[in-house]
Amino acid sequence: MNRWFAVARGTEVPRRHVGHYLLLGQELAVWRSDSGAINAWENRCPHRGVRLTLGSCEGEELRCRYHAWRFASVSGQCTLIPAHPGQKPASTVRVRVFAAVEHDGFIWVNLAQGESPTAPTRVAHVLDSTRSIFVDAPLYAVRETLLDGYPVDSTASRLAVWSKDAYCLSAGNPDHAALVTFLLQPVTDFQTVIHGALHTTVEETARLARLRRHNAAMGTVRDEAERRAAAATGGGATA
Amino acid sequence: MSIPNPGRIEPVLWDDWHPVAELAALRHGRRLDTGLLGRPLTVTLRADGAIDACSGPHALPHLDTRYGFVWACLGAPVRDIVKFAAADEPDRIPVTGGSMAVAASGLRAVENFLDLGHLGYVHQGYLGEEPHTDIKPYTVGPREGGGIRATGCRVYQPRPSPADTSGYEVDYIYEVHRPYIVVLYKANPVDRTRMDLIALLLQPVSEESCVAHSFMSYPPHDVNEKSVRGFQQLIFGQDRPILENQLPKRLPLDAKAEISVRADSSSAHYRRWLSQLGVRFGAIPQAPA
Repeated sequence: MNRWFAVARGTEVPRRHVGHYLLLGQELAVWRSDSGAINAWENRCPHRGVRLTLGSCEGEELRCRYHAWRFASVSGQCTLIPAHPGQKPASTVRVRVFAAVEHDGFIWVNLAQGESPTAPTRVAHVLDSTRSIFVDAPLYAVRETLLDGYPVDSTASRLAVWSKDAYCLSAGNPDHAALVTFLLQPVTDFQTVIHGALHTTVEETARLARLRRHNAAMGTVRDEAERRAAAATGGGATA
Repeated sequence: MSIPNPGRIEPVLWDDWHPVAELAALRHGRRLDTGLLGRPLTVTLRADGAIDACSGPHALPHLDTRYGFVWACLGAPVRDIVKFAAADEPDRIPVTGGSMAVAASGLRAVENFLDLGHLGYVHQGYLGEEPHTDIKPYTVGPREGGGIRATGCRVYQPRPSPADTSGYEVDYIYEVHRPYIVVLYKANPVDRTRMDLIALLLQPVSEESCVAHSFMSYPPHDVNEKSVRGFQQLIFGQDRPILENQLPKRLPLDAKAEISVRADSSSAHYRRWLSQLGVRFGAIPQAPA
């Protein structure tokens, strides 16, 4: 699937930290090199399969926790095997890497291999990136619920502008540019994270009121999406 | 009378003996609920001192004790419980190191026990230390009586045992006796002509979980049972988070599944030997050629 998904806000990935993320069931080790490159790697050392999120980021290299093999930022190529320090590791010794960029305040990952992936969706100027919401529902249920249920504006007719994309939804009213953008991260086939960004500049008091309204709306959206997902699978053991 | 084997687990494991409980962990009248090869298992120490075990409604016909552990066989035993010749030397002191549940295949735990390259990192300051990280060539071959044997392993260790506080290069011999049974011999710090014996006895609970029991046998110099136990548990406690973070949880037997280097020679031999034996439980077998 040649698509970019937001998996985190950029601020969640500080230097010298290795973050653990999940996209479409693929475990990712996400880290930022000292020179600023964003890496999203298969979370597994090619040697003995240990999660690289246990390892440490050492500037331009990630070091595995188990045998301290070192892997270079961007390429994932192994640079040192301490058991045989005098030998240059073969070019085949490398971590599986995915395309990753930081863009508009989010970390974007594309799981497609081999082809040159197109750039991620542009998110218009972000005023407030909001709390990311975990939902126990598949992406399609979350998308539907947002389209039906997110109050776009208290006065304007609901839903004026929705983009058609399944994973980047922008909404506003006819008189304004986009007010809110949702970036949907399909964690697995049945779990989704909604990253949100609010746009346009408003006065401080109006801004706080909007954030509160947004927060309340997101609680409703989550409950409704989970209810729909449970109904769709005939489950719903918990009411 | 025999226990049903609906998963058709290979006879090399089904008809073998496996450790299921440390004797010292059993309490009179109290049940110990555990598992073996995917079957539930309950071990009970009766008031008269006898030990019972059952798997669901089936009483286990084959139950015995050795080295401070209860051993069970679910099938028809074709051989005796594992025996370490060195442990029979009369002046030796046996010590059990307890039992630790691990959310990983026991085969991964055996391989980790054989592994030399992690000593300086996972057990830094105890069994290895930078800059002594290079692994010198060692020899691996078949073991007389079955299994594999690695000799000539030399590792610089800052604190090789609880009796030792100064570092030196230690000689290791490893033996895999059974798929889930591995033992290590290392020179005794006081009498370097004799070897400490440290055995890791894995109880395959499911394909992706095990209980690691350990048994040690030392020449009679400065053996403090409590500190030996504590040391063993400290070391294994360092290994456990590694084991539980290996993906996949079962051990891949295909040589191409994970990259190996010369230092991994014993791991490569172990995987090949498991393939030849036809071990599948806890493993990802090689794809047919």
